[in-house]
Amino acid sequence: MAKVRESPVATCEKNFLLKALSNYTRLDGRAFDEFRNIKIQFGKDWGCCYVALGQTCALAQVSSEIQQPNSARPSEGIININVELNPMAAAHFEPGRQTDMSVQINRILEKCIKDSKAVDLESLCIKVNEKVWLFRVDVNILSHEGNIVDCASIAAIAALAHYRRPDVTSDGEEIIVHTYSQRDPVPTVLHHHPICVSYAVFNEGEVLLADPTLLEENVAEAHLNIGLNAYKELCTLHLGGSTTLNQHCVIQYTEKAAKRAAEVIDFIKKSLEEDTVKRDQDEVADFSSTLFSEIQEDTVNALIGTLNTWTTQENKWKKPKQLSNIEIVENDNSVIEVVGEKAAALVPRGKDESDVWICIDEDVDDDCILIES
Amino acid sequence: PVEVKMQNILTDRTSVEVNFRPKAGLPNISDRLQEQIVKNSIETAILCELYPRSSVVITIQEMQNYGGLIACAINATCAALLNSGIDMRFLLAAVNCTVDKDNELHLDPDQIERDHAKAAFTFVFDSLDKKVVSSQTTGSFTLQQFQVALDLCKAACDCIFDFYKTITSKQISKHVV
Repeated sequence: MAKVRESPVATCEKNFLLKALSNYTRLDGRAFDEFRNIKIQFGKDWGCCYVALGQTCALAQVSSEIQQPNSARPSEGIININVELNPMAAAHFEPGRQTDMSVQINRILEKCIKDSKAVDLESLCIKVNEKVWLFRVDVNILSHEGNIVDCASIAAIAALAHYRRPDVTSDGEEIIVHTYSQRDPVPTVLHHHPICVSYAVFNEGEVLLADPTLLEENVAEAHLNIGLNAYKELCTLHLGGSTTLNQHCVIQYTEKAAKRAAEVIDFIKKSLEEDTVKRDQDEVADFSSTLFSEIQEDTVNALIGTLNTWTTQENKWKKPKQLSNIEIVENDNSVIEVVGEKAAALVPRGKDESDVWICIDEDVDDDCILIES
Repeated sequence: PVEVKMQNILTDRTSVEVNFRPKAGLPNISDRLQEQIVKNSIETAILCELYPRSSVVITIQEMQNYGGLIACAINATCAALLNSGIDMRFLLAAVNCTVDKDNELHLDPDQIERDHAKAAFTFVFDSLDKKVVSSQTTGSFTLQQFQVALDLCKAACDCIFDFYKTITSKQISKHVV
């Protein structure tokens, strides 16, 4: 893989940030304990979740397979959390290689979600000592603007809460896995929703910044990651870096983090409900449309615009030698109409009657049936 | 263009590295195939000779796969290259279409159409004279069907080039304002 070195923080930048902090100002104008906005978007697939925390984005996907359980815990399912830092997030990340940073983030998330027993592992058991579900949570970081841990933890827990695993029945001997269309999938049982709240520590614990940006993260002396659930129960406490932090400070910020965690969890639950309502109404949440209009406004509209205005070229292709049922009619006026996201239909728009598509009989019949029903 | 590893160094041209990340799980063989397809198509478009002893790293992250993944990946890569300012010979547009049992063609098919498809085609065109850069097919089909599909996709590729134009001009105007 190509090597791109991480760009270091310039001294003047660092000094400027510290000076601003001594004047109680953050570079992006937030208060010290103010967090960035969260956006949560669920995909079409179960257990697919996109989370944006300011400019930091993560995509989580839960997948499941059946495996033999751990011999030490024969009646419990397995859950694996994997955070992937690829060059898409920042150029200096290398794909497929474990770095200190990725190991650390992985471990914090594991502590937060796995070790706090958020997922009911017993419910993932199919047959004791033989078959259990293995859940794999893949979190891909899409862009790195500081505070990956928070973003990844929200994405992972939201994806787990959103995920439905296929239903399984057993007739004693055989185990049958039903597809989504055969039986309604089973939601994951979550005992509680732990998430991480991070602070950057400056000046020996004098200043703690909530939800640090990339620059703040690089300048900070240490990072404090607090994993909490909505009931103010502490799941993780991680202090990385080198600084001294007194007891009171930790307790005080844990209190603050608990408030934040409750808000975020509420937000996750609200988003999940919205998604269920949408699915009930059969408006399957379309990931790309909302997502990309967020990232780059109007691009989707632009595409739809181009699709609408686009007209086929004046019969560039030669007529097929009638091997197929398709008859391409010389028509320079047909218009592509958008049926859905990334799907379009050719709709003839002839100037006069002679210019329209010739439909073969079968098709006509089909059309009639459609209209009647 | 960035620094390149010794083993990948090419003295007369840039080496193009494509990383394809599936949404779930580790990258497997079929993802490597996707990488190769994208790489082969993109290499023709980039002016590789301009950047010797360097590499262009492309990372593709799958977000939602409801068909036409390769076409989507190639189009996204082209848009990203356009945005990065790397010199290119031409732009690329990939178009996906299927043929179903009744020999009907579907441009950019949806889920149902794909399930009933007999064969699927992905064509990549250049922006200069709309020549085929690469083509990828699955399933069985006749030569004539291939030709018809090719012509249909060729007609549709203009739409993608127009799309590039709109997004780029939008972006530029945003920066200017």
